[in-house]
Amino acid sequence: METEKIDNKNIYYPPGGILMWILILLELITFGIALIVLAMSSKENPVAFLESSSHLNATYGAVNTVFLLTSGFFMATTVHQFKKKDFKKASFYLNITMFGGVLFLILKSLEYYEKIEHGFVLGYDTFFNFYWLLTGFHVIHVLVGLIILLFMKRSLTKKTAMLEDVEASAAFWHMCDLIWLLLFPILYLVF
Amino acid sequence: MVIIIPNFIFSILVMQKKDIYTLVGLIILTIITALFATTFNSMKYVSIIILTLSIVKFVLVAFQFMELKKAHSFWKAIMIIYLAIFLIVIGVVV
Repeated sequence: METEKIDNKNIYYPPGGILMWILILLELITFGIALIVLAMSSKENPVAFLESSSHLNATYGAVNTVFLLTSGFFMATTVHQFKKKDFKKASFYLNITMFGGVLFLILKSLEYYEKIEHGFVLGYDTFFNFYWLLTGFHVIHVLVGLIILLFMKRSLTKKTAMLEDVEASAAFWHMCDLIWLLLFPILYLVF
Repeated sequence: MVIIIPNFIFSILVMQKKDIYTLVGLIILTIITALFATTFNSMKYVSIIILTLSIVKFVLVAFQFMELKKAHSFWKAIMIIYLAIFLIVIGVVV
């Protein structure tokens, strides 16, 4: 396996690679603009937004934040272990990382189920349109991240993983954390 | 299992103190933010405080877990500029 150190101080080699960081910035800008539009829309009908947002369960949001943050911690640990060439531990911590992502998806599914059961579906009102689109796209990112991590797990097992790939996968997974850290306060807490 | 668990905890504790402190800080900030939002939701500047705490969490994840602290200053600057613009615009709108 390739574990040679990369000079991250070079502008072209941020941890995870320049293409991954361009993707991360574009994703953050896209979600950021959507959240700003959501905040602007709330000014048109603040009472309706307040009423709709009160149907969201902040506890679910907070617990999901903890799941993703803990998963992100274990992702960072996986990269550290890989750099130390302890592939067995790297693989073990990667399993915990993926478990955190799965827990996030389970709780999110439970939340979605409750919303659908109470009729707060896409098209219910402007707030819930934003809620479904923003959290839905985020869930897609988490699913894609989990698939990437599964491939990484496979290459770790086969001992064909390279440091660039491990760091790029980790950067994508952390991006899911970053997006959620913007979504959670604005959707669940601010209104 | 009895052998694996202490070994697993020990290896994390030894090698990644900074990451552990960051994780604990992030969880504490998440709890504070959620409690603050539910307790003082009628206060005037509560939204700005919640958003600022969330931006602190964002910076901790980006710089510590994503190792942005080791990257070229261009990437650090671009992330800080993004966050500053986002916070200002959201702060003005909300």
